[in-house]
Amino acid sequence: MSLRFGYGTNGFANHRLADALDVIAELGYAGVALTLDHAHLDPYAPDVKDQVARTARLLAERELGVVVETGARYLLDPRRKHAPTFLHDDAHRRVDFLKRAIDIAEGLNAEAVSFWAGVRPAHVSAEVAWQLLAEGCAEVVGYAAERGVAAGFEPEPGMLVETLADWARLRELVGADLKLTLDIGHCRANEPTDVAECVRIAGPHLVNVQIDDMRRGVHEHLEFGAGEIDFPPVLRALAETGYRGLVAVELPRHSHAAPDVAARSLTFLRAAQWLGEALGQLARDPAAIATLLPAARRRVGRAAAEDARVRLLGAVELTPDAAAELYRYGDNDEKRAVLLACPQPDLVRDALRSNDTRLVAAALGPAARDLPDAEWRQGVLKSVFMGLPLSGVDGLALRADAELGRMLAALRREREAAGRTMPDDAVDLLERLH
Amino acid sequence: MRIFDPHIHMTSRTTDDYERMAAAGVRALVEPAFWLGQPRTNPGSFTDYFDALIGWEPFRASQYGIAHHCTIALNPKEANDPRCREVLALLPRYLEKDRVVAVGETGYDSMTPEEDEVFAAQLQLARAHGLPALVHTPHRDKVVGTRRSLDVVKESGIDPGLVVLDHLNEPTVGEVAGSGCWMGFSIYPDTKMSPDRMVAILREYGLERMLVNSAADWGKSDPLLTLRTGEAMLAAGFSDDDVDRVLWRNPVEFYGQSGRLDLDEADTEATFAGNSILRGGS
Repeated sequence: MSLRFGYGTNGFANHRLADALDVIAELGYAGVALTLDHAHLDPYAPDVKDQVARTARLLAERELGVVVETGARYLLDPRRKHAPTFLHDDAHRRVDFLKRAIDIAEGLNAEAVSFWAGVRPAHVSAEVAWQLLAEGCAEVVGYAAERGVAAGFEPEPGMLVETLADWARLRELVGADLKLTLDIGHCRANEPTDVAECVRIAGPHLVNVQIDDMRRGVHEHLEFGAGEIDFPPVLRALAETGYRGLVAVELPRHSHAAPDVAARSLTFLRAAQWLGEALGQLARDPAAIATLLPAARRRVGRAAAEDARVRLLGAVELTPDAAAELYRYGDNDEKRAVLLACPQPDLVRDALRSNDTRLVAAALGPAARDLPDAEWRQGVLKSVFMGLPLSGVDGLALRADAELGRMLAALRREREAAGRTMPDDAVDLLERLH
Repeated sequence: MRIFDPHIHMTSRTTDDYERMAAAGVRALVEPAFWLGQPRTNPGSFTDYFDALIGWEPFRASQYGIAHHCTIALNPKEANDPRCREVLALLPRYLEKDRVVAVGETGYDSMTPEEDEVFAAQLQLARAHGLPALVHTPHRDKVVGTRRSLDVVKESGIDPGLVVLDHLNEPTVGEVAGSGCWMGFSIYPDTKMSPDRMVAILREYGLERMLVNSAADWGKSDPLLTLRTGEAMLAAGFSDDDVDRVLWRNPVEFYGQSGRLDLDEADTEATFAGNSILRGGS
């Protein structure tokens, strides 16, 4: 079952809401995480009911699902970011805002409404803060339940509830109608267990998921690939929980390049999802490598194909015969991946017989360690002849010997006789060997 | 006129043909796996051929700006040889390659039980790999062979919109027109179908689900008969848009169902596996 990817409108802060919905739908997203804000469906606007009706129509026309997010920075207080929260003296304004958000969610037929605790003010004790939070949440959750809206509470690094364990404590206080919004990036930033495990723990309670990359200990929402999360197993774990809601990209600081970032993000997520599924399939059926290996490039894209293939090959225990079969029936890109992931001398020899620079280069990497010296020297000489850089030859400094120097010198003499030159790196090497 | 030849055996053609085709407006083609005139005697003979269909031939085509895709199958004629049938087990590896856009040619040659079995098995492979199927209709007893092919297609459960019955003619087109399958016509210099006969069929049956190909191979055939058919259509009063639909948009629609058509030929490389088509080079 494939995941439904969405995009957060807080990452389209410089677009009109209708324009943002157009771009997000055109790119192929299944939904949006709509952050209510001054320019995007302001809950305090006098015509909010009309706006809700209009937005519901826009979403329906574009076949977009929606969740309502309530993390606007200066919607309630133009001077204090995110204030007031449940933990401030004027918490009733937060509760009032969240009830408006729930009404809007009902009007949009949204899949969930999402909210968080807030940072504990210095003058409020932890005990009082938890009491205030539990009271406020109970009111909000009760209001949502009466309207059939799923209430997803999100742990946020730095806030009173910042981990899954904190969320579980709050749920004890508030009751089972308190559901969960999980930000995948946060799991990397501050959860004690790895991200895929967090997803499994969260699974039964999820009503909303946000996704982004992040580094350990740093609460900064990053584009995919810029942080430390290994997404394929995370997306596989998420799909395996049975979660069917939106998985919406949360990049609120990337509005300046929103259309490009949104396009790249969906490409990345689809590739990561395929790779996660493929790794799962290999765990159940290792023989599937024969058809997953050729399919990889069109699934993850040209740039990511080699890494994906090497990873797929690394996920199965291959006998030498099985690796040789994959090499035999592979095209030259698949052959290269086999040379990188599970080399053996016969395959390296085959690659060195070819005239394909990709194969020769891969053969002279770590794959060549088990080749006898005589064959290795011939391989190095051929790579110089083909114009490949010697920097790609594994262990060159240790393995290069006088005989290789003699062979390179002979090639230089031949080239000079024909009025041609040797590549600089080969000249450097042979002068060092003489 | 832009032309997509949905069925041509370029392995049997010269590089000069690629040059002439490009000059005539051929920008894309599909090369179905078929027999080679000389019988094969083992599965390795097939896989070397398949490797060429996904390797050397796309490279050769790209040198003339032509996008090359292929279909992979055990052809009906060689389905009868037990030495060749072992290749069936190897097909799934090839059916996942990027430029493989259908299972084919499958279908009937002499309508033997072996052909029945291989045809049905290969339609299931098409379903398993999310691919269309290219069905060759027999040269002999064609009407019966076409009807029987439609029955096998129906029994297989494959969406008829994913199937083309090829090499049709006046006696067989009517059988296929109401089936939901696509209709393929091979325009040959003397046999099968001529440009003018093709135009008459398009007049009678319309342009929907119609594919026109040269099926040029190692026999007497002409890779430019697609162009001649387009010219004959114009001469008979069809519009430029009609010609574009039959010779370009229809094959794009049919093979596009694979999700693997790649019609951007921008990144042509100078060599394939280090070898070029130029003489005097490596």
